[in-house]
Amino acid sequence: MNKTTKMVIVLTVITGLSGAILSSWDSVTKPKIEYHKLQALKVAISDVLPSYDYYEEKDIDGKTIYIGKLNDSTQPTGIAFKVDGSGFQGNLSIMVGVDPSFTSITGIKVLEQIETPGLGTKIVEDPSNKTDPFWFPEQFVGVIFSPQINVVKNSIPQNSNEIQAISGATISSKAVVRILNEDISIMKELYQSVN
Amino acid sequence: MAKTPTPLSKEFLKGLWNENPILRMLLGLCPTLAVTNSAINGLSMGLATTFALLCSSILISLLRKIIPSQVRIAGYIVIIATFVTVADKFLAAYLPEISKALGPYVPLIVVNCIILGRQEAFSSKNGVGRSIIDALGMGSGFILVLLVLGSIRELFGSATIFNLQILGDWFNPWMIMILPPGAFLTLGLLIGLGNWLNERKVKI
Amino acid sequence: MNDIIKENDNNITEEKVVPQKKPDPRSKLAKPERMLVLNSSPHLHTTKSVHKIMWSVIIALIPAMAMSFYYFGVRAGLMILTCVVATLSTELVMNFMKGEKITISDGSAIITGILLALTLPPTFRLSSAVLGAVVAISLGKHIFGGLGYNIFNPALLGRAFLQASFPVAMTTWSNPITLKYSAIDAVSTATPLGAFKFEKILTDYSDLFFGNIGGSLGETSAIAILIGGIFLLILKNADWRIPLSFIGSVFLLGSIFWLFNPNQYPDPIFHLLSGGLLFGAFFMATDMVTSPITPKGGWIFGAGAGILVIIIRLFGGLPEGVMFSILLMNGVTPLINRYTRPRIFGESRK
Repeated sequence: MNKTTKMVIVLTVITGLSGAILSSWDSVTKPKIEYHKLQALKVAISDVLPSYDYYEEKDIDGKTIYIGKLNDSTQPTGIAFKVDGSGFQGNLSIMVGVDPSFTSITGIKVLEQIETPGLGTKIVEDPSNKTDPFWFPEQFVGVIFSPQINVVKNSIPQNSNEIQAISGATISSKAVVRILNEDISIMKELYQSVN
Repeated sequence: MAKTPTPLSKEFLKGLWNENPILRMLLGLCPTLAVTNSAINGLSMGLATTFALLCSSILISLLRKIIPSQVRIAGYIVIIATFVTVADKFLAAYLPEISKALGPYVPLIVVNCIILGRQEAFSSKNGVGRSIIDALGMGSGFILVLLVLGSIRELFGSATIFNLQILGDWFNPWMIMILPPGAFLTLGLLIGLGNWLNERKVKI
Repeated sequence: MNDIIKENDNNITEEKVVPQKKPDPRSKLAKPERMLVLNSSPHLHTTKSVHKIMWSVIIALIPAMAMSFYYFGVRAGLMILTCVVATLSTELVMNFMKGEKITISDGSAIITGILLALTLPPTFRLSSAVLGAVVAISLGKHIFGGLGYNIFNPALLGRAFLQASFPVAMTTWSNPITLKYSAIDAVSTATPLGAFKFEKILTDYSDLFFGNIGGSLGETSAIAILIGGIFLLILKNADWRIPLSFIGSVFLLGSIFWLFNPNQYPDPIFHLLSGGLLFGAFFMATDMVTSPITPKGGWIFGAGAGILVIIIRLFGGLPEGVMFSILLMNGVTPLINRYTRPRIFGESRK
């Protein structure tokens, strides 16, 4: 057997084996990974929407919205969807819940972020605030986003469309608000064009 | 090495200190610096790397006479990548939290110099038993440093170790320790400490 | 030279007394008619010593310290004292660890302590300031080999460490007067630069000039820094090119942007008087160890730092960039030295 044939055979066998191992392992882990993803989505939706019994998934123009509904009524309790945009260092992905009439926010949850640990990450959770570590996302509950959400610094918000920035992480706080301002109105138009 | 076999205990211990992959050989620094912002991240990274190292060492040591030397690197990389993917999927399926925290650094184990380095330098020249011992030694050395590094950074950066509160409320966490500069500073000081201890050992 | 000749003479007489000892073959070589004395550089000597320079810097810092005491009260004094004690103790510990002679009396550690204290916010925790001082001396200076070997300005390195460690505390400023009259309830305020960057509010020039503004302890009063800085320049203990080119380039670039769009960008006078520019230009950038040794290098160093300050202030995420610009220029100082090396006499131009 000459050298070249040997090389080809050995490499083919190795890659073939590797493919076999990976595909069989993938079939074991895939359902579990999918399950975790779905679970995370469910948790995110239940975090941002007010009480509902089940939710419906709906695609409008390639964007997925989740409509929360009660068993004994066809009226939605709230609408959730994902918004994206750039934060201080990279992409921010946020799940937002709004009321069916698209006037106020029912909750937000940051799904993905790579903000500065200990500063920008406070948009998710603030461990330095022992009594209320989720004060920043919780501020958005009930906020009216028309015409737009505003950010205030070093003072308690007075109006129903104001949010207090995280001190030391103004840019991250503003990024969240900017993404919400931009994307909610787009989703509003999309949603209303269908209904 | 084949002529005068070193005792197996020495083969294991060299990975812990004399040829420690991080402190002595400065290999695999990318994951070392990137994921050690907490003890649990350091430990799981260490374990995942050791798993990939151990499995590929066994396989490559078994196949060492079959793989032609011209395509050995390609062969090694395919084998390593297979086991790394297995580890990555395992974490994603069973430990989703850790998988999320380690992010892209688990797939990046493929390019970790420690693994390919051990295959080139050791498994491709030694028997299976010896290769297992070598992989375990190197892996333990790697885990140990990552664990220490992660613990120090978590202690000063978040006042906890393995999420257990160690330092009281009087302590103001040094944010820098969980940021990349903290990784460089701590690793530098650890390597310095290692060199200092080594020098003393030689003198005694 | 005479000593060597005498020694040779002695050898010869000894040989005569003890004849069985063979003559040293090297003695033939070591009988020069005229000795050439070879020395390594430096060849030019001055009466200046590290000791004298360092103490003149400390004297130059007195006006800034006095103004910080006037505006921020006892807190300023406590902060300076804490930092100086911490830097001196760290220096001592480092001396012991390295087994070298004690260097605390050369004044460099005291300067690092004072400089660090003057760049900290008035309400900064003293325990955290100690951490900064320890980092400044150990990681900023001794890890490189001690005074003269450090790449970065130790005080600024300590401050950068604190900035990264406690980003909120390092950017919490208080109004000077309120702090003076009530020691507990400091009113939180923004620095003039922060106020302009985030809210587009300009601060009164006289407040900027005398220092009645929010900011780090020693950087607020422009006049105190100018007095100390000019004192340093007169004694020739600081290279005048560095502050001139530093401040000049900030002024020039600031003017260009201001003329371009006065609503968007602050005027050049505001650039000069606000933030840590004057303090950095006179006391941080002129550090002899971490700035270039050639005159041309001084110009490049100052101009580079000035450009970086404007870039960070106008386009960066932070309101102030003097610290980072000086640290960055410290990093390229060896390179500047290399490229501005004077041509040796007779060497051809490449």
